[in-house]
Amino acid sequence: MSKEEFVGSRFFTGGSDTETEEEIISSEEDLSDEGNAASDENDSEDEGKRQVRSAKDKRLEALEACIKAIENAEKINDWVVIQNEFDKLNKIISKDPLKIPRLYIKTIASLEDFLSEALQKEKESKKKMNAIQAKALNSMKQKIKKNNRLYEEDIEKWRQNPVDEPTDESGYEEDVVKHKSRKPAVDDEEDDISASQDNDFIPVGGKIIEYTSDNLFKKLKEIMEARGKKNTDRLEQIKVLQKLLEVAATPYQKIRVLIALIPAQFDYNPSMSNYMNVDMWKSTQKEINQLLTILETNPQFMIYEFMEEDIDDKEPVIEPDQLFGIRGSIVSFIDRLDDEFTKSLQNIDPHTTDYVDRLKDETDLYDTIVRGQMYFEKNELNESTSRVVMRRLEHLYYKPDQVIQTVENTVQQLYPAGLNSKITSHTTGFDPTDLIHSLCVYLYKNGESLLRTRAMLCHIYHHALHNRFYVARDMLLMSHLQDNIHQSDVGTQILHNRTMVQVGLCAFREGMIKEAQSCLQEICGTGRTKELLAQGLQLQRYTQLPAEQEKLDRQRQLPFHMHINLELLECAYLTCSMLLEIPSMAAAGSNPEARKKVISKPFRRMLDYNERQVFSGPPENTRDHIMGAAKALAAGEWKKCQELIGAIKIWDLMPETQKIKEMLNRKIQEEGLRTYLFTYSAYYETIGLEQLATMFSLPINAVTAIISKMIWNEELVASLDQVDNVVVLHRVEPTKVQQLALSFAEKAASFVEANERTLELKQAAGQNQRDQQRQKGK
Amino acid sequence: MATNGTSTTITKESPSNVNVTNVTAALDIEGNVPLESVQLDGLIIKHCREFFPNTVTGQLLGLDVNGVLEVTNCFPFPGPTKYQVDMMRCLREVNVDHNTVGWYQSTYLGSFVTHKLIETQYNYQQTFNNKSVVIVHDVSRSTHGNLSLRAFRFTQAFMDAQRENKFTSESLLKNKLTFSNIFEELPITIKNSHLITALLHSLDDFENVIPQGGISTLDKETVTGPLTPNFDTLELSLDPYIEKNLEFLLEAIDEHGQEQSNFAFWQRSVTREQTKLQTALQKRKQENVHRLAAGQELLPEEEITKLFKLPPEPSRLDSLLITAQINNYCKQLNQYSGPTLGKLFMSGELQKP
Repeated sequence: MSKEEFVGSRFFTGGSDTETEEEIISSEEDLSDEGNAASDENDSEDEGKRQVRSAKDKRLEALEACIKAIENAEKINDWVVIQNEFDKLNKIISKDPLKIPRLYIKTIASLEDFLSEALQKEKESKKKMNAIQAKALNSMKQKIKKNNRLYEEDIEKWRQNPVDEPTDESGYEEDVVKHKSRKPAVDDEEDDISASQDNDFIPVGGKIIEYTSDNLFKKLKEIMEARGKKNTDRLEQIKVLQKLLEVAATPYQKIRVLIALIPAQFDYNPSMSNYMNVDMWKSTQKEINQLLTILETNPQFMIYEFMEEDIDDKEPVIEPDQLFGIRGSIVSFIDRLDDEFTKSLQNIDPHTTDYVDRLKDETDLYDTIVRGQMYFEKNELNESTSRVVMRRLEHLYYKPDQVIQTVENTVQQLYPAGLNSKITSHTTGFDPTDLIHSLCVYLYKNGESLLRTRAMLCHIYHHALHNRFYVARDMLLMSHLQDNIHQSDVGTQILHNRTMVQVGLCAFREGMIKEAQSCLQEICGTGRTKELLAQGLQLQRYTQLPAEQEKLDRQRQLPFHMHINLELLECAYLTCSMLLEIPSMAAAGSNPEARKKVISKPFRRMLDYNERQVFSGPPENTRDHIMGAAKALAAGEWKKCQELIGAIKIWDLMPETQKIKEMLNRKIQEEGLRTYLFTYSAYYETIGLEQLATMFSLPINAVTAIISKMIWNEELVASLDQVDNVVVLHRVEPTKVQQLALSFAEKAASFVEANERTLELKQAAGQNQRDQQRQKGK
Repeated sequence: MATNGTSTTITKESPSNVNVTNVTAALDIEGNVPLESVQLDGLIIKHCREFFPNTVTGQLLGLDVNGVLEVTNCFPFPGPTKYQVDMMRCLREVNVDHNTVGWYQSTYLGSFVTHKLIETQYNYQQTFNNKSVVIVHDVSRSTHGNLSLRAFRFTQAFMDAQRENKFTSESLLKNKLTFSNIFEELPITIKNSHLITALLHSLDDFENVIPQGGISTLDKETVTGPLTPNFDTLELSLDPYIEKNLEFLLEAIDEHGQEQSNFAFWQRSVTREQTKLQTALQKRKQENVHRLAAGQELLPEEEITKLFKLPPEPSRLDSLLITAQINNYCKQLNQYSGPTLGKLFMSGELQKP
């Protein structure tokens, strides 16, 4: 975001409500009426081709400008503007009241008609105009009534003969026609609105501009000065700049125009919530590419972010071996381009083809980013390079290998052959992991701390995506990211959450249930998964978020194609929870204290809810399946459990579904055995290993291993009899007094802890109170 | 409660003793001498034991004589208050002692520190000029070989606090009130009438009570105490008692935890309010600086302090009582387990072949 500000803030002085804005503008115009006319004069003088015009001409021109504004305002029913323009019109007329131009009569006549029409409409329509508009409308009604009485005769005359023909009454008409015939080509670039106007009115604006490479700098300067002012038409500016780009002859001129044009396009849409027009985005992307091409081919020009702006509007004389600096920031352009792309993806419905079409543009964007990277690298702009490399990494880290490969291949063909990168030097045998690795390593070495953190997270994510759990975990632990992630910005926290989830899923795929559960617990256990992963806004039930906050949240949402499937995530989490929780619940038995130790709260809640159901039908969704499976597992029916888990459809989204299902089946058998032992060991003195093995169709070795582990972990008070191949159980139940004493010891400890906490708080509060009393005493 | 357990002593009535007390009692007409001990007989125990495990209450009648509260009669409260009034009237009519000196209550495992007891005892003590006690008889404990009969009254500190009905940290601090000085325990002397003593002796050893030489030869040396030691104290089924005690203790700790979290909640809300107040005050101050610069009148700062209401502190009485109760349980456990250990060692030695 900060990158945009760099470009934007110079020009954008902060928006306000449009209506008040208009008011301000129109009042300004009122005040500087004379001044405007004068500057118009100057403008027309600037252009070499035009002759000096008479006062008559000028008056007519001003008149026409007013009339045009009125007509434009009529179209949008903007009575405030109409009122102001009308006043202006009368002022001009009053300067020379003897000669009333026919054009004026026509205008006031049509205005009268329009007014009565509008009043009629206003009466009929149920929707009221807003107060300012209604007020303006009423005052216009009064004014027109008064004004038109003066010209009653003329109006009558005009109404009888409304054809626009030059009459002897006014000499102005001729001039108007002359204007028209002289420069018809300029019209549509003057203002696109005027082009669409009716033909019965001659749409000639105040000034005629022709763009050549000679006056380019002057025009450019004008536009730069006009930018950020409230009444500047941004679209027109862009058009002018595009025109200028066409006529720009030298590379220097092109660069200058591009540097003005690109941010102008970004700023066209001032609101933060809307996204940039796709076509405009595309043209901007091309322009950035063009800029990069020019810079690549003309290495004597450099663009620096921080340098004195010494713009003399001349083509600089450049010696071939000298560098010439221009102020600007390509990296912020690329950043902004990327942000706008993300923004558009956030706003497009992901289930339409629009989204897919839009997503196809990512390759172009990626190409621009890569080109930018190479350019910065070549010119050793380290800070920019890191930023762009980060952008590049963020486009890559979540994608599977094939996609990265395809994109890289396309991009390689797109950029000129001469360019090469040291960071990502790859000759043949291109490997996405190597690419990510080299990008990350570059950032570790050169990036600032935030970028390093993000790069690390992306790197871990990528490893996790490729099932390298231990690598990912070691990186996560060694970087100590989890310790201070809470202090970083929300975007990085979201990335961290994504990474954690991905690491968890990775552990799950690898069959490390416990690790997976502990990784996923933090995110999935909260019930705010959507929010934590920025994949949708959670409905706030009790507290209404302030609008600002919600807006920010919306901006942080990830585009759909980056989403981690939440249902799959939940499914994996619940399955892990089931495999851990059911044996632990069985181990707790009827001991109320042990039962309170919960591994996964959401799972317990769901299971409780499910058990409370009077009648439970066949499982329909993923949760139902897992709950059914959990109950079956608890009851020792591991085969049913396997069936239910296997029936979950969402597993198909995991790569190598079959392998995962096999892994799960094996885990279910093992946990089934453990659950069985926990539940029924009290009723046996010895159990045959062989019998257990057949019961859970596990090999005897596995059974022995599991039981040994349980004995070692003191979960099972038993010993293995190797001779008879049985487990000998020595169950000792603690007496009631022992149980009570144990729980008493626990409670006493927490009691002491709570006491200490209270004391601490009290001391703090006491300090406050003392302070207050002291103040009172004074 | 007194920290060291007071033992109840059983004395035989000696004629000389009676005389002395009566004389001094006559001197103390205004009743200024504060109570120092309680003297009573076993009637209460009968009532309590009959209704065990329900808890019962009753009225104590008697007289305070020179710092010794002599309880001479008592009657139970079966229910309606009218019974009490009627009973008092009847007693007066038959000319028995009818001066109310307190009340008694049976309890189970020392769980008597309740709101109800606090209120009743406060009323008694308020009405009868501090010369009123509550006798607590713990039936369950008494069955384990130790007669548990304790006399309590409120300390002055607690009376003051209760009068204000304010149990904030501040008032606790002011009255120097802690869980250990809610009650003060008075030593109890059990005095049996001659008739009862005689009965006890006869129950124990009929032949020895009436010596061959006739009643006149009866002297202190030959007469052993009534009801020669029984073996109740050697009971080895320890678990139920400890279990129950522990359960109660756990319950009390849970309750205390509840109180603690209430208190913590209050503390948090106070800090929250205070920060709000501070920021508002800060804002007002800044505003005043601006106003001062602009030459405008200053806005009063006190207004803000009035605007924010700190939430009232929850009554600390509950946590005080619970703590006292916890202390009770712990002491009971201690008192019980000490001798029990000895017993266990003894029985262990006996078991050895």
